[in-house]
Amino acid sequence: MALNLFRRHLLASLLAVLPALALSAPPKGGAAQLAMIGEPQSLDPMASTADLVGTIMQHVFETLYTFDARWQAVPMLAEGMPRVSADGLTHTITLRAGVKLHSGRDLDAGDVVASLTRWMDMAPRGKAIGRDTVSLEARGPRTIEWKFKVPQASLLAQLALPSGMAAIMAKESLANPMTSFVGTGPYRFRERRPDQLVLLTRHEAYSARSEAPSGYAGRREALLDELRFVPVPNASTRLEGALAGQFHFADQLNAEALSRLEKGGPQVVPIITPAFGFPYLVFNTREGVMAQQAMRQAVQLAIGPGEMLEAAYGDKRFYTVEGNHFPQGTPFYSTAGTEVYNRKDARRAREMAERAGYKGEVIRLLTSRQYEFHHTMVQVMAEHLKAAGFRTEMQVVDWATLVQRRGDSKVWDIYMTHSGQLPEPMLSPPQLGEGAPGWWSTPGKAKALGDFNQQTDPARRAPLWAPVQQLVYTEVPYIHVGKFSSLSARAARLEGYVPTIWPFFWNTGLGR
Amino acid sequence: MHLGVLTRAPWLAWGRPVLARLWGMLMVLGLVSVLVFVLTRLAAGDPVALLLGDQASLQDIAQARARYGLDAPIVEQYLRWLGEVLQGHLGQSIFLQMPVHQVLLDRVEPTLSLALLAVGVAMLIGVPSGLAAAVWRGRWIDQWVSTLAMLGASMPSFWMGLLLIQLLAVGLGWFPVSGYGAPDASWAQRLHHLLLPALVLGMLNSALITRFTRAAMLDILGEDYIRTARAKGLPEVRVILLHALRNALVPILTVLGLTLALMIGGAVVTETVFNLPGLGNLVVRAVLRRDYPVIQGALLAIAGVYVLINGVIDLLYLWVDPRVRHG
Repeated sequence: MALNLFRRHLLASLLAVLPALALSAPPKGGAAQLAMIGEPQSLDPMASTADLVGTIMQHVFETLYTFDARWQAVPMLAEGMPRVSADGLTHTITLRAGVKLHSGRDLDAGDVVASLTRWMDMAPRGKAIGRDTVSLEARGPRTIEWKFKVPQASLLAQLALPSGMAAIMAKESLANPMTSFVGTGPYRFRERRPDQLVLLTRHEAYSARSEAPSGYAGRREALLDELRFVPVPNASTRLEGALAGQFHFADQLNAEALSRLEKGGPQVVPIITPAFGFPYLVFNTREGVMAQQAMRQAVQLAIGPGEMLEAAYGDKRFYTVEGNHFPQGTPFYSTAGTEVYNRKDARRAREMAERAGYKGEVIRLLTSRQYEFHHTMVQVMAEHLKAAGFRTEMQVVDWATLVQRRGDSKVWDIYMTHSGQLPEPMLSPPQLGEGAPGWWSTPGKAKALGDFNQQTDPARRAPLWAPVQQLVYTEVPYIHVGKFSSLSARAARLEGYVPTIWPFFWNTGLGR
Repeated sequence: MHLGVLTRAPWLAWGRPVLARLWGMLMVLGLVSVLVFVLTRLAAGDPVALLLGDQASLQDIAQARARYGLDAPIVEQYLRWLGEVLQGHLGQSIFLQMPVHQVLLDRVEPTLSLALLAVGVAMLIGVPSGLAAAVWRGRWIDQWVSTLAMLGASMPSFWMGLLLIQLLAVGLGWFPVSGYGAPDASWAQRLHHLLLPALVLGMLNSALITRFTRAAMLDILGEDYIRTARAKGLPEVRVILLHALRNALVPILTVLGLTLALMIGGAVVTETVFNLPGLGNLVVRAVLRRDYPVIQGALLAIAGVYVLINGVIDLLYLWVDPRVRHG
């Protein structure tokens, strides 16, 4: 009896431990077929800010800092957090010892200085940091010293971002355009076949951090022998490939694909990433009928983002109607200014426009069908605007044309786009910076963002976002329409995958 | 006078018309190059803005445009490109950072293999069913074949593609859903990837071949020599397969050739649905990316092939038919 009891306990504890063991260690080996939304614009993550480039190349190149599961910037190639001088202007960063480049050499401060200099020369976010930089120099083999003109509150987040990446590269590989891609990541570049695949293989000498994995941070291990990023621009083909088991991962599927995935059997798993991104409307504040703040406020009052989101996504699991720019539970969450969000008040909007001197001028709405949800939302918005007495004209063009036209302030009044939901306000949308389409530039903006960006203490900086958000609702350079979730799919046998904005495949393995 | 030219120098009778045709071919290619260049530039959109991504500032875009020479006046850009083409270079892809001729050569194999396989499928379906429809003219089999051919001719290929993917690739798992296999795939694996798209393309194109076969057979079955063959007491199978079909093959082969030529440039939708890295797919993606050098290079190459084929046929006419030579 006693033995039986012991056996039963043993069995019970084994049963309890086994799944945990299986979960903690996905198997090693195999090649993962990863269906991506298209061909990467470049393999040089400084040459393009496209998310796809960062998604693929974050396996090859690493950054000094990266984001953990709570979206805090934590060290990756850096040993620890930077030492910041009392005036907040000098940052000293020490590198981890023994980090191997794909070429076999140890990473040193010279590589970091050369890479960051190139980043400040080429990448849009790097250029902004470069304008504030006084000097960037190596101080010994593993230490760099970075001096600024003004305090840099968002520096670590800027260094951590995978798109337009501040990638650390071997200094001898730097060239324009790049022909060899030598980094420190858990995977190394092997081959690119245009429109067929980008092939990465395991970096055997990878030196991982010792901390437990958390988001992009902590220990990274290349369990899969090969990552095969296959460009599949057609979303239906990505879906069918995932259902048939040809792809182990299919990125960014249409919301309608969910029911097919749910009926697709146990071998395929739908992945919903909540608060993946936000659609936003940009206003031309420089010229035309929207240049007047009161007109922009009238439009803001007239439209109903709730109905726009419902029309675009249908299923409530794929969108959230909320005016706060950052999700609840994150440092920058605030409801400041949101009382004017989602009002759809045609009567007051009409009165406001009349008072602003609106005489029935046509409002040109620029949108694209590249992203069907953009087009649907603008269609609904146009109806809301008509109901409030505005005359509208929809200009539906392809994405390439939209990107070109929005640079010309003479040809549009409002355009629709979207962004990933990034953890740091200064990362997106670009209208918070200088010179982006829409050309928002007012004394109020300079003051609110100046206060926000010069405060380097995270705890004191977070509450300073509320006045900025309030200002966006008052001056209306853009309208945050709400949040959307994304749908992807993975094979059940792709184990250890953690849903996130830029999907990564270290610490994931292929089970049976 | 006419005779005198011939006796004096035979090459003169050949030389002038040949030169005239070569000159004509060059003129057509020149015209195509201008049209292609102007049309790609007239379409709005900017390759550089797409390349740099959403966060790039207008200033970044302007700098990069200058680097690619896209800020120069269009005439200057055209002359620079023409100069390169005359030296045998089609330029460098902006998006793929590769020579355009290399990009094009990489895509020839999947497109050509797909077209050949699809024509094979179309022939295997089209010829027997057209034959049966002609032999049993007006009977239920004829009506069925005609209805199916009508259906085939009017069905959109993307829909048919997705339907067969769901049925045969996802449902039964007989075929891969998309792609052309891994880079190191064997020819058997490549063939496996091509079968389903070839089936789609072949089935849809078999409609035309069915109708042509039926019409050609009906014409020939009414000829006197068929009546004679039957009167001689030859078995019906022999009459149809040896006497009638053999003579009907000429127009059928012409249609097959035309179908093949159409597929090489026109399998765009099938290549897109099945994610095949072929020429049609390349042109569509190049247009979406506004990769001007690739669009120009691909269209010029395709036009060049057509002009060359037509030129060769023209020269063959000269050789075959003296009236053309002296006309």
